[in-house]
Amino acid sequence: MSRFDAHFSRRDAIKLATTVSVSGWLGNLARAAGTNPDRKRSCILLWMSGGPATIDLWDLKPGHANGGPYKEIETAAPGLKFGEHLPKLAAQAKNMAVLRGMSTKEGDHGRATYLLRTGTLPQGAIDFPAVGALVAKELKRDGVDLPPFVSIAPQRAFAQNAFGPGFLGPQFSPLIVADGQAARVGAGGGVDTSDEQLKVQNLGRYGGVSGSQADDRLSLMRDLEAGFVDSRPGLAADSHKNAYEAAVRLMKPETAKAFDLKDEKAELRDRYGRNLFGQGCLLARRLVERGVPFVEVTLDGWDTHAQNFDAVKNLCGVLDPAWSTLMADLKDRGLLDSTTIVWMGEFGRTPKINAQKGRDHFPDAWSAVVAGGGVKGGQAVGKTNAAGTKVEDRPTSVPDLLATVCGALGIDYKKQNMSNVGRPIRIVDQAAQPVTEALA
Amino acid sequence: MRWFAALVLTAVSTAAFAGQPRDAIALASAIDRFVSQRHAADKVKPAPRSDDATFFRRIHLALAGHTATPSEVRAFLEDTAPDKRVKAVEKLLNSAAYATHMTTTWRGWLLPEAVANAEVATTVPAFEAWLRNRVQANQPFDKLVQELIAFPLDGRATTMRTPTGEDDTTTPIGFYTAKEGKPENLAAATSRLFLGVQLECAQCHNHPFAKWSREQFWGLAAFYGGVTRQDGALRELPNRREMSIPNTDRAVPATFLDDKEPAWQFKKSPRVTLAEWVVAKDNPFFAKAVVNRLWGLLFGVGIVDPVDDFNEKNLPSHPELLDALATAFIESGFDTKFIVRAICLSETYQRASTITDPLQRDPRLFAAFPVQGLTPEQLFDSLSVVVGMPLEGPGGNYLQANGSPKRQFLETFNRMGKPTETQTTIIQALTLMNGGLVGEATTAQASRTLSAIVELPGLSANDRIEAIYLTVLNRKPTDAELKRTLKHVEGGKTSRYDDVLWAILNSIEFRTNH
Repeated sequence: MSRFDAHFSRRDAIKLATTVSVSGWLGNLARAAGTNPDRKRSCILLWMSGGPATIDLWDLKPGHANGGPYKEIETAAPGLKFGEHLPKLAAQAKNMAVLRGMSTKEGDHGRATYLLRTGTLPQGAIDFPAVGALVAKELKRDGVDLPPFVSIAPQRAFAQNAFGPGFLGPQFSPLIVADGQAARVGAGGGVDTSDEQLKVQNLGRYGGVSGSQADDRLSLMRDLEAGFVDSRPGLAADSHKNAYEAAVRLMKPETAKAFDLKDEKAELRDRYGRNLFGQGCLLARRLVERGVPFVEVTLDGWDTHAQNFDAVKNLCGVLDPAWSTLMADLKDRGLLDSTTIVWMGEFGRTPKINAQKGRDHFPDAWSAVVAGGGVKGGQAVGKTNAAGTKVEDRPTSVPDLLATVCGALGIDYKKQNMSNVGRPIRIVDQAAQPVTEALA
Repeated sequence: MRWFAALVLTAVSTAAFAGQPRDAIALASAIDRFVSQRHAADKVKPAPRSDDATFFRRIHLALAGHTATPSEVRAFLEDTAPDKRVKAVEKLLNSAAYATHMTTTWRGWLLPEAVANAEVATTVPAFEAWLRNRVQANQPFDKLVQELIAFPLDGRATTMRTPTGEDDTTTPIGFYTAKEGKPENLAAATSRLFLGVQLECAQCHNHPFAKWSREQFWGLAAFYGGVTRQDGALRELPNRREMSIPNTDRAVPATFLDDKEPAWQFKKSPRVTLAEWVVAKDNPFFAKAVVNRLWGLLFGVGIVDPVDDFNEKNLPSHPELLDALATAFIESGFDTKFIVRAICLSETYQRASTITDPLQRDPRLFAAFPVQGLTPEQLFDSLSVVVGMPLEGPGGNYLQANGSPKRQFLETFNRMGKPTETQTTIIQALTLMNGGLVGEATTAQASRTLSAIVELPGLSANDRIEAIYLTVLNRKPTDAELKRTLKHVEGGKTSRYDDVLWAILNSIEFRTNH
């Protein structure tokens, strides 16, 4: 009768719970999957909303007036140096490639956010998909009940349309958790409320509604709306159907379990950092482990027009433990080789320090980082001049960066998707030149 | 020759429109004529006229911002007057709900920042009060725009404190707060909203495909060049009429997009001069941009679409129609209500949304009414009507209250994509399936509507189901629907009516205007 039937069954949950502990079972599964060469890859995007001062993180200018107060530190990769507030990541530098030649020419938050997240500037009527949707479409696995694109704590105000599936359609819409909660340093007055924030809202049935009643309601809904759907075919109806089916799959107890961070050891959770971004990274690992191909976690607060150095130090206090633990944890589970991590914001910040000890928007010369699966780590590719104002070697455009990410993920970036304006559009513009030096 | 020369209004063979209801019918016929010409050329057979119930729900959502009550629907269905649709449109246009809905709608366009920016949200009540007064009085739209663009900035606080220190409860200052008092943001908004041109891409470089240069962008921004925001107050330096282009050593004088010579007025803000140019009858952009936006609001897709992106690569689907509407708008004295009335009375607007010919699926042909996703406000208010919850009064106060149910709902149901390509997210599905609002609506103990329908004595099962349909979908159930729902409620268990209500509230039909 109904394809929804099975999904509401409480028996399944009980069966699962009584036979084997979920985490143990999944751990084994994940380890098996991790070592399987055919395993499809996943991508975790660490999105630094506001535009991070990469000159204080990945490409320091010690001794120059633009350099600011931070020191450089050695990393585990000989010759590669990071900013002093990233010591834990420095220990993992062998897995990371810093792209120091980013040069992107768009200094407005909204337009730059759109550019970095879709690979293009807004162009008239074309609805470009976010990179998460593009990757989700290519790497979506059959039999996974979680949606293929999950966005954690996004800050969408800069460019709403840079977070959606665009012309790829609603089945690649992100599942958003902690929407607009903006993982910021010190948010919530230091109290960690991430357990609540990272829950998918309304995942459980409304009080008093039984499983069989929920089934009945869904089949009643489908029967009653059939006439409307048949006589008015289109995206609205398709998307509605897809969303309800996905919602029902997500409600399955074993699927919903992915979002229950209490499953994790307290010690590991501490290492990620007890804050929304840290726990968001942990959630990203749980999702990747369960076959989600694209997860993004946003860390907001990088728009440091004033008091840049205090702000960046605080942000590093969140970023460094979260990301380094994420890589270590993925590695422990055999998942690092199949998970590519991308770190970027919408632009860098001015080398020149302004009167408020801040740095302003600067797209001309900045850094992004790729790490983990498919990446040849332990190096910096590209070079800026001594003042940090110009790229001197391997200038890297947004299409170059995204094509590099596709390369690491094993996606043909020249593949075409049909767009909403009736012409095919490539995943990344064909003029892109992937940074092959950074690919394993 | 510049491309906008082609935009200059061409003579149109429609009669003069003076803004009276009679003329609205004449304009409605003109609309139908231009739309039909395209159907004939494209060999599209248009969909038939919508039935009364569909039309009534449609105009309620479009003009009042929410669905109708069952008694309003019944009265309309029982009315046998041949002009009942005209009367229903008129009644709605003169309702308080129309003023509120149009105020919310324009505020959403003018201050989109209010949803995400708490400071801007604080300016919304005063902004909406200012706007609502003008919408309610149906003030000519050119005057409203002029007032907005030339609004005196005399040092009052961004949070609408007057110079004497009192709170100003009726002021459009929020527009300037939302644009951070920055000339470039103000210029970009002015051109998008009132000229239909996305000029901001020319901020950093020449426009990629339209012929807008950086000089033109900064030339427009220069009209706002004296606006400054210091210590939370907005001021204007008098006689500042040029701006330097960032990261260059060039400065540009305030210049109109059509290169007309600005006629500066002694001791007056350049914004006064800009405002006069924007709304001038011979401005090739203004009237078209506004009527196209209103058309887009009613059909979910503009004659130029996106509605604020007029450029030579994005031409109107019906150029003569756009001209006719713009001419009528000017001749009516910039009467937005007149344009809305004429559109609603056209046969084009009254068509069914059911697809009877595959070619009707192109929404830009207007051969069938385009199915549109409800805005979050429409959906929330319609749910409130269904549940019997009082509607939020005007003013947009809910935007400030963090965690207010309406605000939360707006965030969750923020429409993705175009209205005609509306998409449901998983979170939205979960919210309607399992969330408190629908949860309470479908629990007899908590829902006034439901308990009335279920407990009222003397009703047959048919009556109860019909009442649910009229309440939620503003129509009677079809025979097939009645059969299916009767099967479900068979045996008289009252909780089974909860399920019917739940199923209809969750259906795609409830979530769209169609």
